[in-house]
Amino acid sequence: MSTPVRPRCDDPIDVTLLMDYWRAALDAGQEEAVETHLFSCDACGDRLREVIALAESLRDLAASGALRVVVGDHFVSHTAASGRRVREYLAAPGDSVQCTISADDDFLVAKLGADLAGAERVDLSISMPKVGEVQRMKDIPVSAETGRVVYSESVGFAKTAPSNSMVMRLLAVDAGGGERLLGEYTFHHTRTIPGPPGWEI
Amino acid sequence: MNSELSEPDLALRVTEGHPEAESELCRRMAPRIHLYGLRHLRSSSAADDLVQQVLVTVLEALRAGRLREPGKVAHFVMGTCRMTVLDQRRGAHRQERLLAEFGADLVPPAPAAVSIDRDRLTRCVESLNERERSVVVLTFYDEQTSREAGTALGLSEANVRVIRHRALKQLHACMGGAE
Repeated sequence: MSTPVRPRCDDPIDVTLLMDYWRAALDAGQEEAVETHLFSCDACGDRLREVIALAESLRDLAASGALRVVVGDHFVSHTAASGRRVREYLAAPGDSVQCTISADDDFLVAKLGADLAGAERVDLSISMPKVGEVQRMKDIPVSAETGRVVYSESVGFAKTAPSNSMVMRLLAVDAGGGERLLGEYTFHHTRTIPGPPGWEI
Repeated sequence: MNSELSEPDLALRVTEGHPEAESELCRRMAPRIHLYGLRHLRSSSAADDLVQQVLVTVLEALRAGRLREPGKVAHFVMGTCRMTVLDQRRGAHRQERLLAEFGADLVPPAPAAVSIDRDRLTRCVESLNERERSVVVLTFYDEQTSREAGTALGLSEANVRVIRHRALKQLHACMGGAE
């Protein structure tokens, strides 16, 4: 089947508007305008198909637990309620936590307690004792009212990791670049998944 | 050639009883109806059914001369989509007799699905800043509204919208999408 040649659209719908349309996030008037355009413009229809594929792929990627990302309590409770296996660890500043991950865990979450009030910017620093800082997540989103940061670790990384220790630090960073420690958390990971790890420290 | 005719001209030819004009009109409208169905029914198979039902209804109306303004055929198809989805949601009769009689012959092949390079998408998402990545995950996996995501992340509703739009623009460009 040959690919149809589409007339160029002189007034293409913005990709973010198409995404909001797909997410059913538009009001009735906006939705009507988008649909009226789509019923006379196949070029924008093609772009909507791209947007749908992107949205569905983003959902699948996020559902895979492969991303290192700051989430929230609702994410964890909703994910668990949907039948996914969430392994979560709570840590207060100064805590050392014994942790692991099993092959059938879908998400691995750390809830890091801290007094976040007054922090303009918060960074999450991840260090390995022999290596030093291996990742700095700059300006993470935090809700000071919750008194904690909910961090989802990559399950792909965790499942292939050897037994090791990882230090997480929450740092308040001021406008001049000065840092103040909000909390330090040490996670002692014991590998329990059979077979050799995917990498060595 | 029917493929060179405008949609209003095609609609007019359908009312005059030209079967090849019906085929061409179906070929053009089916992908648009399918997209509408995907959006409102969230299922590719339900969208396929919608294509059949809407095309049957539209052709019936054209054949019977019930569309007084052929220039508004696209709008008529859209309105038929809306009414058909509403009927489905009310659990109404689904025109099974008409579908059995005409449906299978009406529906052209669905447009090929767009494929996404998963590794590339992962790299693109990892290149977002932390706020953008969090908003994207809460939006597309957890299906949180801007207000809910804002509460979870300590951001205003408006800020979540701005961050999400910026992230989507960046992801779309990173994946090679055309502006």
